[in-house]
Amino acid sequence: MNYLDKNAPPTRDERLGACCAFGGSVCELLDKSKSGCLGTNGRAFAQSTGCQMMLSLAIVATIPESVIVFHGPVGCGSCLLSSPGLAKQNQLARGNADTLGQLWFSTNLSEQEVVNGGEEKLEETIREVDRRFKPQAIFVAGTCVPAIIGDDIDGVVTNLKGEISAKILPLHCAGFKTKIIATAYDVVYHAILRYLMTDEEENKSLLPENDIEREEYEARRKRTINLLNVASMSRVDETELVRLLNALDLEVNIMPCFSPPDRFIKAKDAAVSVSICATHDDYFVEHLKELYGVPYILNTIPIGIDNTRKWLLDIADFFNIREKALQLIETEEAALKTALAPLRKNLEKKTAFVCAGEIRAGSTAILLENDLGMEVVGVRAYHYDKFGDVLFDTLPRKESIPVNVASSQPFEQVNMLKKIKPDVYLGHLGGNVWAAKCGLPVLPIFGPLNSYLGYKGTFELASRVERLLQNPTYYKTLAQTASQPYHESWYEKDPFTYIQEN
Amino acid sequence: MTNTFLEKPRFTCALGGALVTVNALPKTVPILHASLGCGGMTSASFNAASGYLGSGYCGGNSIPVSGITEREIVFGGVDRLDEQIKNTVDIIDADLFVVISGCTAEIIGDDIASVVKEYNANRNDLPPVLFASGAGFKGNSYWGYDNVLQSLFTDYVEKTTAKRKGLVNIWGIPPAQDVFWEGNLVEIRRLLEALGLTVNSFFTASDSLDSIRSAAEAELNIVLSLVNGIDAARTFEKVHGVPFISTTLPIGAKATQSFLSEVASKLNIDTTVAQRTISKETRSYYHYFNRLIDAYSDIDLQRYTVIIGDSNYALGLTSFAQNELGWIPELIVVTDQLDDQLIDSIQKEFSSIIPDASDKLVFESDTSLVSLEFAKRWPQPDGSRYYRAFSPAFVLGSRLDKDFADSIGAGHLSVSYPVSNRVVLNKGYAGFTGALHLTEDIYSNILSLR
Repeated sequence: MNYLDKNAPPTRDERLGACCAFGGSVCELLDKSKSGCLGTNGRAFAQSTGCQMMLSLAIVATIPESVIVFHGPVGCGSCLLSSPGLAKQNQLARGNADTLGQLWFSTNLSEQEVVNGGEEKLEETIREVDRRFKPQAIFVAGTCVPAIIGDDIDGVVTNLKGEISAKILPLHCAGFKTKIIATAYDVVYHAILRYLMTDEEENKSLLPENDIEREEYEARRKRTINLLNVASMSRVDETELVRLLNALDLEVNIMPCFSPPDRFIKAKDAAVSVSICATHDDYFVEHLKELYGVPYILNTIPIGIDNTRKWLLDIADFFNIREKALQLIETEEAALKTALAPLRKNLEKKTAFVCAGEIRAGSTAILLENDLGMEVVGVRAYHYDKFGDVLFDTLPRKESIPVNVASSQPFEQVNMLKKIKPDVYLGHLGGNVWAAKCGLPVLPIFGPLNSYLGYKGTFELASRVERLLQNPTYYKTLAQTASQPYHESWYEKDPFTYIQEN
Repeated sequence: MTNTFLEKPRFTCALGGALVTVNALPKTVPILHASLGCGGMTSASFNAASGYLGSGYCGGNSIPVSGITEREIVFGGVDRLDEQIKNTVDIIDADLFVVISGCTAEIIGDDIASVVKEYNANRNDLPPVLFASGAGFKGNSYWGYDNVLQSLFTDYVEKTTAKRKGLVNIWGIPPAQDVFWEGNLVEIRRLLEALGLTVNSFFTASDSLDSIRSAAEAELNIVLSLVNGIDAARTFEKVHGVPFISTTLPIGAKATQSFLSEVASKLNIDTTVAQRTISKETRSYYHYFNRLIDAYSDIDLQRYTVIIGDSNYALGLTSFAQNELGWIPELIVVTDQLDDQLIDSIQKEFSSIIPDASDKLVFESDTSLVSLEFAKRWPQPDGSRYYRAFSPAFVLGSRLDKDFADSIGAGHLSVSYPVSNRVVLNKGYAGFTGALHLTEDIYSNILSLR
């Protein structure tokens, strides 16, 4: 794969034929996906989601020593107002100085620019950002308006090269371009690959000149992993994965989130890239392999006993240390199973509904079934593509478990939940409110302080579900006191009535 | 209004402002004709940062949206909008819908008004649909608020020649953009009712679409802002012939007394009746407010203060700090974007509140420039024993101003948007009751380590 000669990456609708609307059983989903007849699809009734620009912030807004310029009208980017304090906490937790703080600008496009073009205003903004803050990098997020009026963002960036000390990274992320919001990750990686990893000077400086130092460097390089984190994993999760990898005598280079711009260059130099989520990283790792010969592992996510085992063994096999890994896994699993036993007693046979990105939804469902003895009665994935097949294939009772592919679309979910009535709902963050309003106990699976990945994460997730079910009063009350915005007639219909196949 | 880039502006686009406004109306649901992310982006700006306002009845990611994609950009989006409206009405239980357009829909030139008109012409018993522009390139979230009000006044409020004595409409406090909007509206409503008036406040639990429809029977429209909702008031006057007054957001006994007096005189309310109400409220206020005398006089609770917020809050808070708390406002930063005429009238208003207003007042939307403005006005520590420190000091601003407050060693309370570090349910800061809450919150913060 190499799209770097293009200004923008292809959308996932084009590149992967990813699907954003489906309802059926897990088996039906797998059949369609494997036979290549799962379309991107659409809906005749739709509800609000984010866009690829918003999701690009999941990486971009974590990069320290950088500033984001939203090239668009004033609302684009305003979601960053939602928790300014958290940004600082997250940087400090990673040992970053947060000298600039989270900084962002809007070019604040008006009718004048819609008519005359906004390139000048963008240029002026970038100059001022550089003058005021001297950041290492400036991300320029191109939104819908400049994409329609035809602003040449790359041209502006080229013009400013040499004049501005910061590296300028254009992000082609107009929301209307894709139905698959996760295209955002490709857009960000595309810019990182093109603008933060191609500098010849910086390339040279990687290898020490002194022979002994160079040997040491080489030795370390051969056991260094690019561990690709995601914004929706906590520092605690990173620590857990680093703990496991260190136990295998491997060194870890964590990126892209919270990584300063000048550290990306190191990705070229690792022995292997390890993803925890194909939805997040496939574009990046493929390019690292193609361009710099860094191989990659991206089969699964280390959530739950089975998938943590698979994830570790994939890595161990690459380094030829399978025996060592098996020893570690055995010890870890034994300790975890003992710790889980009392929790499992309280959770067994309880029914659960899971909603998250495809990889997380699948792996969490497997965790609930296999590690906790719970019964998964429904799964929702934000979108679906071939990377989900590996996980969903190993889901127990896949012929009977209903699955809904939908980015938000709470109307479909509420319809499902009213029919299924699970004991507990596990969801990523953002849309849990609509499940809560059904009176269901809700466990938000991701939180900036939650532990979720690896062995520690499995235990913590189990503990949290068990705690939630000890007193679900808050949620139970909502069934009587909070209202859903739907006509009763909606619940009589099939939840997937408005899905249109293409 | 200066057409310039902005750093961390404390507002979002017209679409975001329109959305929260529609969501705050009784059983009213927005339908976005916009790119698929506009609803998510702007809801995210308010759900948490407006004191955990939340998604409400059909906000957040339940907002119906046409979801404009490349296909609509090329072939036009009116068919998709038409389909979305019909299916929304089918599924969503609401008494009123408002189509809000985004940038993409407007640039490609979709004739939204015609789609809405045709729906209304054939709707029979189905709920009506209004249309308000939310194009971000046309204005910010305050403009979006104003726009929704204008649509409501023009196309929903029924024309009438009947007048109801003592009926008034109030607005000017934009939902969510004023984090304490509902508590503020409830308090102003309570006070006006105490004067014997009947009040339409549009966005509180006491309001209904029925009362909104008959809002044109009002004697007077009261806009609690020098900026927000003024265009809507002009529209109302033009369409329905109801005059308006525009006032600042009253916070504290003195400001609220003069607010109530102004309303009473405008409506020719019996002076003794008005005075009785004002006196009763004032007595009750100082009954509580004066509990603080011991602490204030023992601990020295006077502060230098920096006040940062939109024009509504900058004015309201400055008046409260100056006239109720006896503080020293040293720098006031007005963060909304205003045209020269408005800047002029707001400057005048400040001059009536504090001495040397022109030196202390700045109109600036860029967040990081607040510290620069402060540095211009107060000398940096020079190591001298007799350096006059800006202390004790307190910043009344938004969550974005916490770092600035920390940097000058001042206390800090988030009052103006965004407020992501506090939960706001029914609390307001306006009027008498609100000012007591504000006093509690400020001094609880100052005394939190004791």
